Amino acid sequence: MNGSIEPTLFVSAALFALGAIGFLTRRNLILMILSAEMMLHGVALSMVTFGRLHGNNEGQIFTIFILTVAACEAGLALALILSLYHRTKSLDMDLWSALREDDMPSPVGYESTIGDIPANTHPTQPTLTPAGLPLDPKTPLQSQRVTREETNTHV
Amino acid sequence: MPWIQHNWALLLPLVLGAVGVWLMMPGTRSIRPLGGLACLGALALGFQLIAGERDVSGAMFVIFSIACLGSAVLMITSRNPVYAALWFAVVTLSVCGLFLLQSAPFLAAASIIVYAGAIIVTFLFVIMLAQQSGNSTYDQSSRQPFCAAVSAFTLLGLLLITFQTWGTQQQQLAEKAKLAPVVIATPAPVPPPAPTAPSSGGSGMPVPSSGPAPLAPSGPPVVVAAHHLSKPLPTEELGQLRGLGRALFSDFLFSVEIAGTLLLIASIGAIALAPRRAQGTL
Repeated sequence: MNGSIEPTLFVSAALFALGAIGFLTRRNLILMILSAEMMLHGVALSMVTFGRLHGNNEGQIFTIFILTVAACEAGLALALILSLYHRTKSLDMDLWSALREDDMPSPVGYESTIGDIPANTHPTQPTLTPAGLPLDPKTPLQSQRVTREETNTHV
Repeated sequence: MPWIQHNWALLLPLVLGAVGVWLMMPGTRSIRPLGGLACLGALALGFQLIAGERDVSGAMFVIFSIACLGSAVLMITSRNPVYAALWFAVVTLSVCGLFLLQSAPFLAAASIIVYAGAIIVTFLFVIMLAQQSGNSTYDQSSRQPFCAAVSAFTLLGLLLITFQTWGTQQQQLAEKAKLAPVVIATPAPVPPPAPTAPSSGGSGMPVPSSGPAPLAPSGPPVVVAAHHLSKPLPTEELGQLRGLGRALFSDFLFSVEIAGTLLLIASIGAIALAPRRAQGTL
């Protein structure tokens, strides 16, 4: 494309907007972080494009730094997600929306989605043997005492 | 109203795209095939706006962009997190293809290695570690898909209109620069200030006489980069690794060191944040 840079800027803006949609709507913690990474993709693309507009290497150098920061952010975010999963045995974001004052209303969507859960027809996905007992969705933050023998994974 | 009539070619794919993404979002009211058709229609209409050159690079741009945006939509609307991570890998590959079209070969290779090779693999590990048996409830529904689609596509519309306005401004500037007649620019020579000679001696510095005014045509305004070493040499191309390395370790040396420190802090933080075992260290 030796012509204008606008079409590539359109694509980068669309990537950013789609990443924003994914971050706002999905309830899975990992999918939220993946959508944030997609927003970073859009920004990196626009950086490279503007660098080419000015005939400079500065855009690409800044994109190298974006890559570095994205890697750090992904590592730390996944460590946090694993800690949260360790507490509630679930990747649901809405379980953590119970961290609010007592007089505030519950967030939209939390109560209504408990009812309409579709039937579990999908085949099981690769997983490890879950450790510990399943949690009560009403009080997910209470830790339950489990002995070490129950959590041994039997290979 | 006249604004909508003037910009309908831009608004129609946006509205179609918002409706398509909303319909594809997981939830009880989701009609995935219809949403997919609407998104494809939005892509087709959107690409009509981009009248690129009909050559190989234009065709490659269309292929990479459609792959990019299509897999992006499929990633955010997928019910299975493993599929979503794999669609994100396709997004990464398409963005690297677009990097290649923008004269950034090193960045394309580096992005593939770092993103598709390290970050996505780590995500897949964590998805498989944190999996519940069978499909989970929280992947089957989304929070406020309609509001999110409307607001994000409004943002996208504003960005596209800004780019379009900027693009037409640049075109007008370029046309004005082409049509402007050659103007004789006479830079007024600034004589050095005659120094007062405090010391004895009568001979001060001779003031140079103003030479003949040089002829210079006026062109587009010259943009001088703040970082001189970031500009590629005349013997180099833009984005060549040698020029990137030279600029990185001369103009941006402090940033490189800080980025290294950031990586160190992030690894320490990840070790500190990881959930602890019941026995043993860490």
